[in-house]
Amino acid sequence: MSMNRRDFTVGTLMGLAAMSGLTVAVRAEGDKTIAVLFDGLYSEFWVAGIKIIRADLEKRGFKIMEAISDKDDNKQFEQVKAAIAQKVEGIIIVQTDSNAVIPAIKAANAANVPMVHFNRPPAQSEAFSVAIQADNQKIARDAVLYSCEVAKASGKKHQAAILIGNLGDPNAIQRRDGFDEAVGQYKDVIDVVARIPTEWDADKAFAGLTNALQANPDISFLFTSSDFLIPQIQQALEAADKWAPIGDDKHVIFTGFDGFPAAYGLMKDKFMDACGVQNLFYETTLAIQAILDLKAGQKVEKLLLDPGFAITQANMEEKKGEMWGYVLWKEANPG
Amino acid sequence: MVPDAGRQARRGGFAGRLVRSEYFVLLLCALYALAAYPFVPVLFSAEVAGNMIADMSPLLIVAVGQTFVLVIAGIDLSITAVIALSAVVGASIMTQAGGYLPGNGGVLPAILAMLGVGGAVGLLNGLSVTRLNMPPFLVTLATRMFFAGLAIWYTTFHTTSSSIADLPPLFTGLYDFVVLTLPIGESVLTLPLLPVLIAVIVVIGAHVTLSRTMLGRWIYAVGANRRTARVSGIPVESTIILAFTICGVCAALTGILMSSRLQTGSPILGENVLLDVIGAVVIGGTSLFGGKGKIVWTLSGVLFLVLLDTTLKLLGASLFLIFIIKGAVILAAATLDTLRNRIFVEH
Repeated sequence: MSMNRRDFTVGTLMGLAAMSGLTVAVRAEGDKTIAVLFDGLYSEFWVAGIKIIRADLEKRGFKIMEAISDKDDNKQFEQVKAAIAQKVEGIIIVQTDSNAVIPAIKAANAANVPMVHFNRPPAQSEAFSVAIQADNQKIARDAVLYSCEVAKASGKKHQAAILIGNLGDPNAIQRRDGFDEAVGQYKDVIDVVARIPTEWDADKAFAGLTNALQANPDISFLFTSSDFLIPQIQQALEAADKWAPIGDDKHVIFTGFDGFPAAYGLMKDKFMDACGVQNLFYETTLAIQAILDLKAGQKVEKLLLDPGFAITQANMEEKKGEMWGYVLWKEANPG
Repeated sequence: MVPDAGRQARRGGFAGRLVRSEYFVLLLCALYALAAYPFVPVLFSAEVAGNMIADMSPLLIVAVGQTFVLVIAGIDLSITAVIALSAVVGASIMTQAGGYLPGNGGVLPAILAMLGVGGAVGLLNGLSVTRLNMPPFLVTLATRMFFAGLAIWYTTFHTTSSSIADLPPLFTGLYDFVVLTLPIGESVLTLPLLPVLIAVIVVIGAHVTLSRTMLGRWIYAVGANRRTARVSGIPVESTIILAFTICGVCAALTGILMSSRLQTGSPILGENVLLDVIGAVVIGGTSLFGGKGKIVWTLSGVLFLVLLDTTLKLLGASLFLIFIIKGAVILAAATLDTLRNRIFVEH
């Protein structure tokens, strides 16, 4: 071993210096800070969400304390405590589990720090926080109703499949209910033959849809509870020789949910018929305004709804400007 | 164990004594805290100190269990599944929303069941390693997958939600009943005493077991050289089984603390804690090759990791940066362990 003791001591001190340097690199302290605590950045929706929140907060002159818990509820609780210790003005949170977040809400209440749940409400409790949530059921119902009309206009009967999200997530349940509500009105045209549980897992979605298409080769109507599954859906439909644009005999009437850039791309290229859009810009504004209002001592309702909208082949040109996915798609495809 | 630590330390002079010292990681903690202070002044507040001690308790207990397994030259990857499974089993017994024994009366049976789950998984791991002669890595990887899946499956039978909530106040109050509140300057130290007390008891019990009992000597001997231990008449198989069982029970105890803290039995509870646990034990200085390790070292490792984590949290560092820094520190600790042995033992 050629290293001597002096080298070793110098190396240790340099290591310490490097560690303190790292703390400089991540420095973030300001006068007014808002904590933005997400459980993960697992799809474009959440990436776009945190980006829009960041931009909005910076525009309003706030510093941001960001943390991702990686679906670890205990870690997120610790992050909330750290945010409280940092004397933040408010906390915008996306929790993993609607029950496990309640002690964090109580801790925020005790410290008089307003907490807003972004897009995912907590379970019922006596603790006070504000939840921003899309009107999932209505948005899904409106989007699927358009597709049902398309199915009816085709003059044929259609077999339908739905990709369902994690049933522990209220958003997933409401989207499923919106789908059921819509197709329930078109029982003479649409027969639901496959309900595919995905647990918000792309691999499970792909395997489930592939199996469903093999068991029911006549499936010609599809609803996905989230656009983040689009790549897997395209792959499965291509393998089943069913990936075709509107007007082609092989076209599967396809309805999405969320309003991803990929969904806009498919709408534009006529592979998707309709998509339920959560108004991410509006939800962000609601979340930040709720914190400011609570901080100012004003009364805010526990649940603030984003009405969202359905973008369809019929209203696309008129509504696309409100679709967050279109805005991002346009940034990626200038001109 | 380092039977000739004193002699070896003398060989390295001051730096050698420093690096080989049991207090080296504690010194690093102090230096790191001083380096971070200008950027995060709130780090030295009573409130953050209270948060850190509360955050340490669950991690420390599971790390203590992992120390037993690492000292016998094993590894237990199934601790995350034990935390999750014990949490949902306990919650399903005592939940006030349709539990088997709902309410405060179900708390004791639930806690016993949770510890039983941990002990049973640990026993299964130990038996698989000794009776089937399977590598601990493979055994515990398999049991981790199996019991993590079982925890999710079990939950679906007890709730329509993704976790089991509405736990009785006697259980959720573990973090609320006895709280030390001490104003220090402009800040207030808030410390849940029961979890801290449980962690202290576990640490002292484990320290005494490893350093003062026959079982402790057997554990070090089995980890240092299994064949020699067997020739010396040590019950190698029983010692290994016991080490895995202790580890399982410690993981279940962590499951109890975490589910009490979050007032929920979640099947993904503790899912991401593995890196922190093994990282803390290795940073403390326990050897991944077995035969060397102390509870005091693990305590230091957990303190360092929690300090690092807290600082990065307070700075608002991104998850990716936290992973990179933690990974680098754990790698540095493993390298340091190898280096200090090679430098100060070979020279």
